[in-house]
Amino acid sequence: MVQSKRQKYLFLAFCLLPTFLVFVIFTVYPMFNGLYLSFFDWSGTSAVKEFIGLENYRQLFRDPVIPNAIWHDYFLVLTKVIGIMILALFFAVALTQLRIKEAPFYRIVFFFPNIMSVVIIGILWQFIYNPDIGIINAGLEIMGLENWTKPWLGSLEWALPSLVLPSIWAGIGLFMLLLMGGIMNVPKNLYESAEIDGANEWQQFWKVTVPLIWPQIKTSIIYIVITSLNGSFVLVQVMTRGGPSNVTEVMGSYLYEKAFADYQFGYGAAIGVLILVVSLITVILLQFILKREKVEY
Amino acid sequence: MRKVFRGPLLLACLTGIILVAMVGCSSENDSSDDSASETKNDGKVNGTLEIQYFVGGYGDEWWKEVISTFKEKYPEVKVVEHAGPNVNDEMKTRWIANNPPDVIYIDGDGANETQMIKDNQLMDISDWVNELKLEDGTPLMDSFISPPEVLEGDKIYSLPLVFDTWGVWYDSAWFEEQGFDVPDDFPSWLSSMKEIKAKTGIHPFITTGKYPQYFLRGILYPAFSAAGGEKLLNNLMDGKLKAWESEKTLEVFKKVEKVQEAGLIDPGFAARSHTQTQMNFLMHDNAYIPVGFWLPKEMEKDIPEGFEYGFIPTPMNSEGDSMALVPDLRPVAIAKKADNPEAAKAFVKFIFTKENAQKFAESTGAIMNLRGVNLSKNEKVPQFLKDINEIINNPGKVEMYDRKTPEEEELEIAIEVSDKVKSMVVPLLLGKINAEEFVEEMQGTVKQLRNK
Repeated sequence: MVQSKRQKYLFLAFCLLPTFLVFVIFTVYPMFNGLYLSFFDWSGTSAVKEFIGLENYRQLFRDPVIPNAIWHDYFLVLTKVIGIMILALFFAVALTQLRIKEAPFYRIVFFFPNIMSVVIIGILWQFIYNPDIGIINAGLEIMGLENWTKPWLGSLEWALPSLVLPSIWAGIGLFMLLLMGGIMNVPKNLYESAEIDGANEWQQFWKVTVPLIWPQIKTSIIYIVITSLNGSFVLVQVMTRGGPSNVTEVMGSYLYEKAFADYQFGYGAAIGVLILVVSLITVILLQFILKREKVEY
Repeated sequence: MRKVFRGPLLLACLTGIILVAMVGCSSENDSSDDSASETKNDGKVNGTLEIQYFVGGYGDEWWKEVISTFKEKYPEVKVVEHAGPNVNDEMKTRWIANNPPDVIYIDGDGANETQMIKDNQLMDISDWVNELKLEDGTPLMDSFISPPEVLEGDKIYSLPLVFDTWGVWYDSAWFEEQGFDVPDDFPSWLSSMKEIKAKTGIHPFITTGKYPQYFLRGILYPAFSAAGGEKLLNNLMDGKLKAWESEKTLEVFKKVEKVQEAGLIDPGFAARSHTQTQMNFLMHDNAYIPVGFWLPKEMEKDIPEGFEYGFIPTPMNSEGDSMALVPDLRPVAIAKKADNPEAAKAFVKFIFTKENAQKFAESTGAIMNLRGVNLSKNEKVPQFLKDINEIINNPGKVEMYDRKTPEEEELEIAIEVSDKVKSMVVPLLLGKINAEEFVEEMQGTVKQLRNK
């Protein structure tokens, strides 16, 4: 049966319009409304708004917390990308190449944190880091390293690095599965040829596996960066609330504090715009940095 | 060429139209309507009365009882309650849409009296409240422990309902058993903490580092007040440079430094939340903790056997000076855009009675802001509350100081000052910065805020 052009467009409209409408209402509109509100002095709790032009943006440049918050965000992004990618890649290779019998079980175990709410993860790790009953300090004491014990989340030096571990732990599973999918699609004969050519397993990993799963690696890195810049505030909010002394403050947690605790919703919206701009620039830069020739096979 | 652009162009136009419509709809009212507080019924107490009240540490028993007796007195009024721990967030859209409830009890996260006044959301009740009398004929305005604040010269926007205050808690039974003296000034507090540490090996002082406002409100506010009265407290927190340059201010931080240098602060405090610190305090891991009146109610399920709450105004006062209390009042107010202001006024008048004050102390463990309420014979009221009520009603050894509401632009400066102090509390208590550095940093911040 041949479809007329009109029928084809009607079908396309039927498929696309509802999605497009939902996208506009729940993504595009809040984004533009956030931008609109960033030009106002508004408490976020009343109908009274005063247009102040770019004043909120001027305040952004004067605010000493902002550069620190950006640095903390990038610290988390960088450590998460390195930690998650190394471990996810390691586990993905191990579970696909090493022919481990219990591979399905480990897949579930590693993926488990991904089905947990971030709030639960934060609370769980708060207990792990607890100075009195936490397993980290207890483990150090058992090993005779009492001097190393500390109130991790209350330390001005260690609070931010302490947030990295739960972030990595919570992120490995998803990216491990993504990379496993890529590795399993690599034709076996490429490894056989490499072996015949005398390549050892390490060389096979670098010369065969990595180039062929590069699209998955690139997607994973970009996804980690975006979700960290936009979402790491949840873990911060639950575990440290940006403290002590703002040393774990990230842009998201600072936005929340300004908009909902200090009643400066307009300024909070300006911080939101900053997060959007920073995320966009970072992703564009990453696209260039991670660009590679596509490998045909 | 035209075909190539037609699709995306159409899409962009469609998006644009939808966005313009939505943003247009959202900015319905950028200014407040000043003529909204007129009585919309016939002056009689009837119709629907909407009440918004936050349910936190004090529970909702008292509210339920008061509303029930109000309904008995005014059967023609239908009361709609909006209550719960998240009620302020749940009702936010109503306030933004200029359709608020009639009465609001302002407490908990998400509702701030100062901000509501700034946003023109509360009714000026000054004329009406000046005529109110209690059942014994005493004018209500003369009956408050801490009177309502008069703003802009002659306006009153709320009535302080709950008289709460921060201070320092200890286990009086344990103190008696161990023979520890209860301090009444800073030197005696310091020596008490040193004695407790020497005798028990614990770090006597704890506060939550995760919520540094506990230290700010519980220790620094009374310390500022004891050192320089209401003027110093307000000038410091309003960001007045001279106050931050004053010797008295430095002395306060020197006292904190002394406690830190003597190793009296729990080393894990910075990582702990308020409930974790309170739990440690109940377990005698620490001896002193700064919290408000709600502590016993908040921790009622965790109290160990034999534990007896003792409360003292924060002993940061120098020897020979009075101890200082800075009330933390939770007010009740009528919305400027209340649909039923007559019923709202009737309800607000109804709650301020000595009988309700007795019930309040029984069910909440806190004090209602009315003078002359004799709690000493009420067996349902805990002893610590009777002692505090006695102190409040018979001032002398303890002075009360109010943190005044900053007006207009001063409010934003005050918020920034408070945020800055809170951000430096943990480094000070960890010994990472000293008193001089704290004060210098604050001077820099205040200068910057004032020169914006």
